Amino acid sequence: MSDDEEFTDINGKVIFLACQNHSSFCREFTVSVPKVSLRHVMVYTCSVWLVAYVVFFLTENTAVLSGAIFVTLVGMLLHVHFVKIDHETLLIIGSLGVQVSSSYASGRESTTFIEMSKIKDIVINESIYMQRVIYYLCILLKEPTDPDALSSVVPLFQSSKPRLNCLVKVYKSCQEILAQC
Amino acid sequence: MNVKNLSKSCMMGQRQRAGRKGSLSNRTPDGITVGIQDSPKHNICMVSDFFYPNMGGVESHIYQLSQCLIERGHKVVIATHAYGNRRGVRYLTNGLKVYYLPLQVMYNQSTATSCFHSLPLLRSVFVRERITVVHAHSSFSAMAHDSLFHAKTMGLNTVFTDHSLFGFADVSSVLTNKLLTVSLCDTSHIICVSYTSKENTVLRATLDPEIVSVIPNAVDPTDFTPDPSQRDDSKITIVVVSRLVYRKGIDLLGGIIPELCLKYPDLQFIIGGEGPKRIVLEEVREKYQLHDRVRLLGALEHKDVRKVLIQGHIFLNTSLTEAFCMAIVEGASCGLQVVSTRVGGIPEVLPEELITLCEPTVSSLCQGLEMVIAKQQSGSVPPPAAIHSRVQTLYTWRNVADRTEKVYDRVAKEVVLPLDGRLDRLRAHCGPVAGSIFAFVAVLDFLFLLLLQWFVPDSVIDIAVDASGPRGLWRRARTRQKEPSANCHKDTGTGNGEHLYGALFKKR
Repeated sequence: MSDDEEFTDINGKVIFLACQNHSSFCREFTVSVPKVSLRHVMVYTCSVWLVAYVVFFLTENTAVLSGAIFVTLVGMLLHVHFVKIDHETLLIIGSLGVQVSSSYASGRESTTFIEMSKIKDIVINESIYMQRVIYYLCILLKEPTDPDALSSVVPLFQSSKPRLNCLVKVYKSCQEILAQC
Repeated sequence: MNVKNLSKSCMMGQRQRAGRKGSLSNRTPDGITVGIQDSPKHNICMVSDFFYPNMGGVESHIYQLSQCLIERGHKVVIATHAYGNRRGVRYLTNGLKVYYLPLQVMYNQSTATSCFHSLPLLRSVFVRERITVVHAHSSFSAMAHDSLFHAKTMGLNTVFTDHSLFGFADVSSVLTNKLLTVSLCDTSHIICVSYTSKENTVLRATLDPEIVSVIPNAVDPTDFTPDPSQRDDSKITIVVVSRLVYRKGIDLLGGIIPELCLKYPDLQFIIGGEGPKRIVLEEVREKYQLHDRVRLLGALEHKDVRKVLIQGHIFLNTSLTEAFCMAIVEGASCGLQVVSTRVGGIPEVLPEELITLCEPTVSSLCQGLEMVIAKQQSGSVPPPAAIHSRVQTLYTWRNVADRTEKVYDRVAKEVVLPLDGRLDRLRAHCGPVAGSIFAFVAVLDFLFLLLLQWFVPDSVIDIAVDASGPRGLWRRARTRQKEPSANCHKDTGTGNGEHLYGALFKKR
């Protein structure tokens, strides 16, 4: 079963959270952001081309125009392939581990898996991000030698940055599973 | 929406309790439900450049005051700048939340001021913590002045505590005084630590004395108890604990040491503290061959101060300027005879029979010390325990918090000046040139705030979960949980926040 809930990210944009209960000890959370909108593509392309045209008008150098086309295409490709993330998924399986994956707009996916034995806890933390203070969900990793110490922190949903109400929901579900093992 | 969700999930207990009070509860403008029998609870943000891990009087003042205010049910957060690796959000004892904001440090642990660059971060803190009173500390702290400026732009009540005295004559004090005038002319209330300091501040910042309160500092009397067994009664020991800087009159000390050591063969000095004037004392020690009688301990940690104090019979303070001298109270609390210079606010600090006041000259200080030494030798001084019990009740942090709370209550009723009123005040108060410049800066600050509100409206800033205050989760989480999680107090490099949330949410 899956239900899409609407939340907002820290900038007030709409995001969707889907929770899938595969079984009592396996849950999947997917945060999706809206696809690249045509309007944004148009706005960016037009602004690059307008600037290029003004420069061309002043310098009368046609290389500027072809440069602008090149910049737009490469920029779009890079954005779609490396920057724009459509879905971020957190798959938590009790006693096994946590899989974090993010799929880019181009279809590329990057996935990491963290064993349960390395995980100390999943918590909501707050930090300073770009001139503001925000909440984020993160996985605390154990120090291999000393199980009480923290070795590092893995932030979750880094690109979508949901707000606290969404984080609390995910957090509670995660804790239910963590409490079982 | 999120607030409601959160309060649904986290604050059930609080809701139920508030519900039970029913008719007794009233609602303050910021939406906190409090019982009518209590005084209103405030959300206070202490701002200063100076906080732990930096050590000093202002730092411990802020910490102790905050702890006592939390005890009285207020919500307190502290904003300071990042100290090296210590940045982000941390929690101290009893859920005292500290924001270490990444602002550039310029000089002497004070941040650079450009009037604007700190606005986004401070606004974020003020909005998410639903701050109602901004309390800035220390006139040396640029961040404190910035926060006052921004808080007034955002329409929050402001309180400022001045911890130091200034001169009027040299260029730097003329400039600081001007800045202080600008900063304080529209601040709701100012707190000084002594009457001398009040006089000084009122003159420097041309303020209305009506809005300046005097609330002295305090010491924790349980930290400074006498222990005469640690003394070496075959000798007479004079203890000096201060930073070794010009302001503390270390040059006077350099004059006193040889003179008294020559007269009294059984006299020794213990000097704790570090600073640029250490060289003066080392020279004196070298010149008069006093290595066995003058011990220089170097920098002392606060917890070690008592160990040093209880070894002495006489506490000597040679400050040249002092708004309120904590050191002499600590000395007297440890049962020592106090000899001090009569400068600044020092005469107000202790009752006459507990202190010997001298003029800030070598001869006068020597006279005073000789008198006390004679008394000590004849055994006519009161026992340390008697002195301690007198001092014990003089300055307590609870009393300070009590009086500060009254200031907050008064300030909360006042209306913050709107922008036009503020501009008029600035121009009327600070002279035509500086007034106009800062009025312009105030307008720019206001426009910047509007811009920020357009980029990130207040509604998308998540309201922070309260650790202290009426809805504080810290105490409830800790009382509900029988075995307290040791993590909350342990300082792991990544901050305690995660443990708090781990602990807070798990317990439900």
